[in-house]
Amino acid sequence: MLGPIILEKTKTTPEIILDKDNNVFKICGRAIIENSQEFFNPIISWFEKYFKNPNSTTELILNIDYLNSSSSLFLMKIFVLFEKNSKTNNKIIWMYDASDDLIKERGEEYKLLTKLDFELKETINEDYEDFNFDI
Amino acid sequence: MTTKTIYDFYKLLENDNISFSYRGGFTNNVLTTATQLFKENIGEEHSKLKNKLSFLMIESFQNISRYSEQEGNDILEDTSEFFMTRNVGDTFYIISANLIDNDKIPTVKEKLERVNTLDKSELNKLYREVLTNKQISEKGGAGLGFIEMVRKTKGKLPFDFVKVDEKQSMFFMQIELKNPKVDDGLEPLPLSDAKFVQEIVADENILMMHKGDFSKEAVGPMLRMVEENMQNVSLKVHKKIFHFLVEILQNISKHAYPINEKREGIFQIGFDDNKFHIGTGNFIAKDEVANLKNQIEMVNSKTKEELNELYRKYLREGKSTKTGSAGLGLIDLARETTDKINFEFIEINNNYSFFSLTVNF
Repeated sequence: MLGPIILEKTKTTPEIILDKDNNVFKICGRAIIENSQEFFNPIISWFEKYFKNPNSTTELILNIDYLNSSSSLFLMKIFVLFEKNSKTNNKIIWMYDASDDLIKERGEEYKLLTKLDFELKETINEDYEDFNFDI
Repeated sequence: MTTKTIYDFYKLLENDNISFSYRGGFTNNVLTTATQLFKENIGEEHSKLKNKLSFLMIESFQNISRYSEQEGNDILEDTSEFFMTRNVGDTFYIISANLIDNDKIPTVKEKLERVNTLDKSELNKLYREVLTNKQISEKGGAGLGFIEMVRKTKGKLPFDFVKVDEKQSMFFMQIELKNPKVDDGLEPLPLSDAKFVQEIVADENILMMHKGDFSKEAVGPMLRMVEENMQNVSLKVHKKIFHFLVEILQNISKHAYPINEKREGIFQIGFDDNKFHIGTGNFIAKDEVANLKNQIEMVNSKTKEELNELYRKYLREGKSTKTGSAGLGLIDLARETTDKINFEFIEINNNYSFFSLTVNF
């Protein structure tokens, strides 16, 4: 049994839902934490365990607002892990706001760098204008 | 904004334990974050002044909106509203500047001169009179704000009017709050110091400036304030600036050379020639200068295409953690800025140098 990781978003870290039983895998919000290793290592270990006995399909949804460079490295580590387990029918969905070129470009770059089923999905977030950078 | 002006500003504010200045539209959110920035970053010895300081900052902000003739336009001008708070020695200063119609000057001047000459009991008497008479002037308030400021600070309110044209002047006012528990023996800073700062931030088109200890939690409030100031900027530019602000400010908090356990730094954001400029300055250990210089020169020598390749290579190889992530951030910065990264090292002594950096978006 692999228990879920569920973390609420904070001022510097994204919301995390890694729930095998309900087949939900999500990383949403901003990842600008200085000590990203401490935050991401448990997530990476979780996926390592998960891929030993994965569900029939795995869709990881990312909906990122901001990403600092050390968090970028850890996202890449997660993608590499998905790549290593590509036979398990897994997929990445990278969501970005229609007006957010920077996050779109980040997604395109990851897509280019990985041999993954990597979908870029444009969203229109109506709350976006009110987005408050409250860290 | 040049790397040289960053250092000049740093020198100008060298004795400030913390200082913050802001130009542009004043909203309640700006006020909230400004008070927060200060509350979170003032020294232990002054913690008892926190509430008074917040109160005075609010009064000062309200005073700007009460007497200001600014017409909510988005373009920054030399006469844009200006607000500054600073702590030097044991005294806190709150400075405001805004446009005022020349024909209103005599009334404001009279109110200020009156509160500046009264003693404590006379002030209390006046306070009660004003409250009971309900002589509310057309802009709301019969100088009650001024009376409160003087009562709270037990000091004077230095002020000045600088003529702009036949119709308007800039109205400068300074609130001084001294910590009664400690005596630094320093003379209070004259209002002319603040006028000088206002003049040069206007000349240099600086929207916001902060000098202080970057190891503390100053980054969040600063970013929120920038966001307030950028309501009208396209989301694309806006996000890019934020993205790199986080990166640059975190870098300072991590790598700045600690002096007396403080990671002193200065941060500015400006707008000029249709570009945003971010400028930072901080001390770095002398033995790190050569390496940092090499890294910046390396990224500056590459084309955007080469930088993209390098970034992807580093990202893919997971060059971690200590040297790697700093390198990745720098490459990322170089590929997104519109011009090369400008930088300068000024040798201070055998242990450390001053490192300043400016980038444009």
